[in-house]
Amino acid sequence: MATTQQALLPDHVLGAVLALAEKQNEVTNQGCDRLAFRSHDFQLQEIFHDLRETGKYPILDSFVFSDSGPVPYSPALNESVSRLQLSGLIGRENPDYEVIFVRSAANRFFDDVLKKNLDPTEINQLEKVASEFLTRVKTV
Amino acid sequence: MDNPAVPPALAERVNTFVEWLFDGYKSNVPKRPKVFNDALLGNLLFACHEVAVIDCPVMQRLRRIKQTGLVYYVFPSATHTRFEHSLGVGTLAERCFNAIRDRADVESTSPVGDPDRTKGDLAHLRMAALLHDVGHGLCSHASEQIYELLSDLREFKKDPAFVKNNPGEILSYLIVTSKKFREWFDDAVVRGCQARLSLDTISKLILGKHDEPDKWFLANIISSAYDADKLDYIARDSYYCGLALTVDLPRFMSMISIAKYKDGRVLVLRNYVPLEQILFSKMTLTGSVYQHQKVKCLDSMLRSMVGHIYENPMQAAVPVRGKTISFADPVEYLYTTDDEFFWQPNGFGDDYTRKMLNRFRHRDLFVRCLVISRRTVDNWDEGRLRLIDLNQDTYKLAKVEEEIHKCLPSTAKAHCSKHDIRLSVPGTPRIKTDDARIQTSKDAEVENIEEYFPLEQWTDAYAHNKWRSFVYAPREIAAAVRDAAMPVLKEYTGLKLDASKSNQTCHL
Repeated sequence: MATTQQALLPDHVLGAVLALAEKQNEVTNQGCDRLAFRSHDFQLQEIFHDLRETGKYPILDSFVFSDSGPVPYSPALNESVSRLQLSGLIGRENPDYEVIFVRSAANRFFDDVLKKNLDPTEINQLEKVASEFLTRVKTV
Repeated sequence: MDNPAVPPALAERVNTFVEWLFDGYKSNVPKRPKVFNDALLGNLLFACHEVAVIDCPVMQRLRRIKQTGLVYYVFPSATHTRFEHSLGVGTLAERCFNAIRDRADVESTSPVGDPDRTKGDLAHLRMAALLHDVGHGLCSHASEQIYELLSDLREFKKDPAFVKNNPGEILSYLIVTSKKFREWFDDAVVRGCQARLSLDTISKLILGKHDEPDKWFLANIISSAYDADKLDYIARDSYYCGLALTVDLPRFMSMISIAKYKDGRVLVLRNYVPLEQILFSKMTLTGSVYQHQKVKCLDSMLRSMVGHIYENPMQAAVPVRGKTISFADPVEYLYTTDDEFFWQPNGFGDDYTRKMLNRFRHRDLFVRCLVISRRTVDNWDEGRLRLIDLNQDTYKLAKVEEEIHKCLPSTAKAHCSKHDIRLSVPGTPRIKTDDARIQTSKDAEVENIEEYFPLEQWTDAYAHNKWRSFVYAPREIAAAVRDAAMPVLKEYTGLKLDASKSNQTCHL
């Protein structure tokens, strides 16, 4: 039973942000062709909540955060991390799994698939989000 | 905090459903409390006002909805219902509440909630636990996966007040806050049984919320990583499926407490070991039961029927007590229960629905034509997100299925409907982590569980190794569907399937 067609999925937004962050990281830290950073899920939640709250990035609207309980929480963001991991676009490093790294497949997915469905305004927003994201994570 | 805003049309439709349920029902004030004998938890005691609610049509309906949907076709003893699960959750919620109070007494911390059973926090907690699943419809989660993407409910995913809730919880909330249920509750429970309960508080607890931050822990008992719901369903589902899994409830109860956190009080664990048990059991259940290939096949066949009825309402709709149901909106899934859908003496609908009903009756199920997993795909690292995305994008999923149908040779196409080709792409197993917290001693800092135990990563590692998608079809056209599906899947997802590896599992 078909329902309405989905717009840009949250997985795509997160995948694009991470792929673009890796590209920017490579430019900033020459020779470093891999983006890896420390983050548990609750820390990613804080970062994306803060970025969304700025109101500057409508593209992050697909990450809706709950308004109840002690901390804002977006199930879509949590699920997106899992899906990207299951898809092989990002990985986690043993033994504590705190380090997330972006795989080359993420870049290929962005260049070959996602980019074609994004307009320049959206790409511009994603680049800015990626840039802010990089300032908020501890890269390793 | 006011009650969250709900699209008025949806709330009105739910109210109409509740009026329909209560039509002809006369409630009696129960004269005495009741003890229910539960196979899993033993003797469960319910007060008069709770018996009134248990006896009402909103709850009794749950007797006709299997807790695990169509799983009983694979695990024959899994015929337990949402009804007994709800009684179990009510009881376990109280045990959690009492365990927290006991620990507070021992540790001499501030008092924990009002234990009055007719008007206090405990009364509200038990009532929310009893009513938490009244929004379940046909085949429980099997139909939830179908209707959650219908337009009304999709809007909820954009609303911060509901974003953490699944569709069943939202429908439970709408039923409990409906005009008809409120009227009945005020009359039969509040006045009839002298129980001073607030349906506003109860309905918010069902959503995992509480207006008073000091009582957030009550909401955590109803909805969190280690809520009473999970404690019951893990133990109950594994028991009825015959799996020797365990959640050591006494141990768990001895390890829970509450702690101050961000201006409120939340449920915490003193040790993460009980959560490990919950996690392992849930993962085992997911792999062995909920995502068993035959269970996913049955879920897919249900989707075939529902899809056909939806597209052919004039010929195929389900008659239920004066209503004709065509599954056009989420509320329609509430009108019919498992018994009414599958076991009408003369069946219903057109040739296709009757044929499918016969398939269910004779357990003549579709078969696997293709397995899509890291073991059967040559380029698994390339673009599998496009496959996984189909789990969220039913529009595209239906397109892929239709395309496979179109590509069938005419001899095979003549023997099947487009609804006979099913692509099943399961979601990833999740445990809510936002409210999973550890406090190792009463004065220690409250920390997120991930600081101690990589909860998310266990589920993700499990998914990486066990996650599989399938293409299903009737046995007589299975080979043709396999051959048609491979190029279609390559076109839509980029995945190159190795037919020989898939065949080893499918036995085609």
